[in-house]
Amino acid sequence: MDPDRSIEKIIGEIDGQRPFPEAGEPDSRWKELGGIARVMREEATPEPPADLGVRVMARIRSFRPSPWRVLGEALVRPRAVSFDPIRALRAPVSGQECSFYFFMVGIFYAVLGVILLTGLPGLGSFPAAPGWVRWQPPIALATAGCMAAIGLYLLKDGKLALRAARVGALVYLGFALLNGVFVPLEWSVPVSAYVSLVSALVGLPTGFFLVRTLQNCGKRYA
Amino acid sequence: MKQIDEGEIIGRVLAGDREAFAHLVDAYKGPVFRLAFRMTGSARDADDLSQEIFLRVFQHLGRFRQGERFFPWLYTVALNVIRNHLRKGKAVPEGESARGVPEAEDPRDDPADAAVSRERSRRIRGYLMRLPTAVREILVLRFYEGMSFEDVASLTGDSLGSVKMKAYRGLEKIRGMMEADGFVDDETRS
Repeated sequence: MDPDRSIEKIIGEIDGQRPFPEAGEPDSRWKELGGIARVMREEATPEPPADLGVRVMARIRSFRPSPWRVLGEALVRPRAVSFDPIRALRAPVSGQECSFYFFMVGIFYAVLGVILLTGLPGLGSFPAAPGWVRWQPPIALATAGCMAAIGLYLLKDGKLALRAARVGALVYLGFALLNGVFVPLEWSVPVSAYVSLVSALVGLPTGFFLVRTLQNCGKRYA
Repeated sequence: MKQIDEGEIIGRVLAGDREAFAHLVDAYKGPVFRLAFRMTGSARDADDLSQEIFLRVFQHLGRFRQGERFFPWLYTVALNVIRNHLRKGKAVPEGESARGVPEAEDPRDDPADAAVSRERSRRIRGYLMRLPTAVREILVLRFYEGMSFEDVASLTGDSLGSVKMKAYRGLEKIRGMMEADGFVDDETRS
């Protein structure tokens, strides 16, 4: 027996139609099933207690979410963010889009920091590795943390957040430049040239991009 | 309630205006209570569950996607809360089901007819409680709440064919239980 067809017959029964008069099938069966469905459909509607709304609102007012829940909700809350890095260099962008770029840079430095952290013990064969080089992993992780913090602040999409982000981006730009210069000055081995190259090739364009994006974001408040 | 109003109210609630949530509660407390009552068969459980459902909706309102219809989302949350409650296996004592629940007036003029009708409904509610939750919710949504099979399918996450199959099997089971109890009257035949 095809349930699709059977249920259509029952619905037809309820609606007073007889769409499938087929020979050999017990008519009373559809009547009974249709009758049960009709009783359900026509049953009187139960009303909620009169004070249900008041009690619900009392619970809503007294509800205090835990900080973890607040954080979790903030992270999983759906947001519509569109981003276009090329356009961001030319046209005004939203605070959310700026925030997204800072997060992306933060993720990059977090990954870089972890790689350096796990890879630097291999530099034991270079006993003369100076302190500045050994500080590279924490510097990368700290940069990641700062970028994420600025990204979060920018989500507020306010003028103050924008100003703070601009300072942060300029500090980052200057630091990337200094880092690129200091490492090869302190340590003249091929590894230092690599660190310098990464710092300069990634840090400077990224820094300029962030500063430019923030300028365009600021146009929205002009 | 119009969708645009819901969107505005949800926006206000998300911005921190908890009192605005009262508009949603007022608009939907009836359907939510009815659904909980039909699914549990207990007015007390339906009352508790309705509060729980609205609290859950309030907590997770940030996950609601603006622009979507609020009512199906609310019903999905409600069904999840009700399923969890039923999974805990809190049995409903038969016969207590409708106690304390004010009902809308029966349109039948004859008090005897109305009494027979109430008894018939009460019995069918009892049989409904003996069905598996997945089948019960489909019968409740389709026949008590009057939703289309397509809407029921999108709410439960089942395919349309599966929903129809379960509805048919559910009605068949109720008919079987009625037959076993020797309870088949003219109304359910006519």
